[in-house]
Amino acid sequence: MSEFVKKTNGSIISTNRVRKLYGEFVAVDDLTFRVGYGETYGLLGPNGAGKTTTMRMLAGLSPVDSGEITISGIDVVRDNRSVREVMGVVTQHDGLDNGLTVFQNLFLFGFLSGLSSKNSKTRAHDVLDFFGLTERSKDNIYELSGGMKRRLAIARSMMSSPKVLVMDEPSTGLDPQSRNRVWEELAMLKDDGVTILVSTHYMEEATVLCDRLAIMDNGKILDEGTPDEMVERHAPKEVAQLRVVPALLRSVREYLVKLEINFREVGALISVTEGSGDRPDLTGLLDREGVQISYRPGNLEDVFLSITGRELRD
Amino acid sequence: MISNCRGISINIRTRSITGLWLRHAVSFVRYWKFVLTWVLIEPVVILVAVGFGVGKLVGTVENDVPYAEFVTPGIILGNAMFHALFETSWNAYNRIENDVYETALTTPITITEITLGDILWATTRSLLTVIGTGIVAAMFGWLNGWHSIGILIPAAMVGVTFGSLGFLFSSVAPHTTFLTLVFTLIASPMFFFSGSFFPISILPDWVEPVAWAMPLTPAVHIARGFSLGVLDLSHLLAGAYMLAITAVIWPAAIYLLRRRLIS
Repeated sequence: MSEFVKKTNGSIISTNRVRKLYGEFVAVDDLTFRVGYGETYGLLGPNGAGKTTTMRMLAGLSPVDSGEITISGIDVVRDNRSVREVMGVVTQHDGLDNGLTVFQNLFLFGFLSGLSSKNSKTRAHDVLDFFGLTERSKDNIYELSGGMKRRLAIARSMMSSPKVLVMDEPSTGLDPQSRNRVWEELAMLKDDGVTILVSTHYMEEATVLCDRLAIMDNGKILDEGTPDEMVERHAPKEVAQLRVVPALLRSVREYLVKLEINFREVGALISVTEGSGDRPDLTGLLDREGVQISYRPGNLEDVFLSITGRELRD
Repeated sequence: MISNCRGISINIRTRSITGLWLRHAVSFVRYWKFVLTWVLIEPVVILVAVGFGVGKLVGTVENDVPYAEFVTPGIILGNAMFHALFETSWNAYNRIENDVYETALTTPITITEITLGDILWATTRSLLTVIGTGIVAAMFGWLNGWHSIGILIPAAMVGVTFGSLGFLFSSVAPHTTFLTLVFTLIASPMFFFSGSFFPISILPDWVEPVAWAMPLTPAVHIARGFSLGVLDLSHLLAGAYMLAITAVIWPAAIYLLRRRLIS
């Protein structure tokens, strides 16, 4: 057992200064974080931030160039097979087997994972029941909706009853209803004591699911904490949102620039974000026709913007 | 446990291989009606056309062997080759593209075991088509005597050799069009130049060694030895040659598949 493994007894997942290069390109740099037992931890960042690479390294599917990763006391860098005995992995593209039925997908995955034929059958039925997919067990994969496929992929990762689940982008590409269902089921797994590591570029997902999260950009963790802590630390208490008719957009922009007020535009919406503290002075805009002002609390998207200077969704 | 060339022992997990094999078998059985057409119907059509049709014209070859009896082991083995090659080129390519391997890799499986599971399945397919077609050929009287059962040995060797070879294509293929090379470069030339349809000795002198170098040729030679009940040292050497080729191709398959799936 390495020194690092001994030191990480309190956490189920630990990484220490992990680095991954693709040629000259540094995909993940100096990555250090820990996830406690039963915790849901999120990696929040835009596409290309290094989230997927991180998830793949944790699952032993991508070699680590330097640094250390320990999961459930297993040194992932040296022994990437054993880690997949104790950890469930849901990759970004579901990876369901079109040549098989829903039930066969689960049963054969369980068998491949090492369950006996009898246990794999029993477990497949249990898992289908938990995810409300029992009625679809004889269906072909192409007959399922996107949301069902996602949930089946999560169900599959639960076949060997892992204590840790690593999941890349749980709800990307799903409609709001399916997304809620996925979140609900992940919350149920958390209730059962499963430690969950998710990557996401949805701030809402991170807010709903995560006990703690790390903001990731360009392969690096910039800060970590609970969602509330992060908002308090980096986001304004209140963000003014201006809905402006197109004809007035230019003059509103000029007004904000003149008063040196920070703002950003998302579609037809202008968000006014002063650092922390008081509301920005927008009195000059109040009486204008065609400008509607509302206030909302600061959120993780504002956190991301204030740390990186960029939008989370690009 | 097996050892690689650097003397490091590699742990092979049996469940990875049986699990993958079972996956292929279940998927195969699901589509058995379609499968039947190319396991049995296609080779039988070729066998009947060549055996009855061409056989009538040719009469006998080498040592007065009726043409149908001469050609049968060659056609059977050629089909075994098509099956093994198809499984690990086209089918394996689809498994790469549809993330079937990616998903399998989230269980405690290794790339080496993926190749072993798939090659085992490719070999199973080779044996299935050889058994099916062999029974039909025996009914026509073109396979005689219990020694013909020995054809299963070169059939299994074809499964392993060409099952490994298919991965060299699927693991580097950028698109399915690339995979047509499997047929134009490998399968078709071998099917016709491996001594299946005519004795290699009648080829021009400069083609003969090329034909012998193709890995299907020694398999057909062994199969014909079993079907005619005449075996000698040359058949042992042919077997050794196939093993030697596989000993090069299989590690290459592992290397290329790892490069494709793990980055």
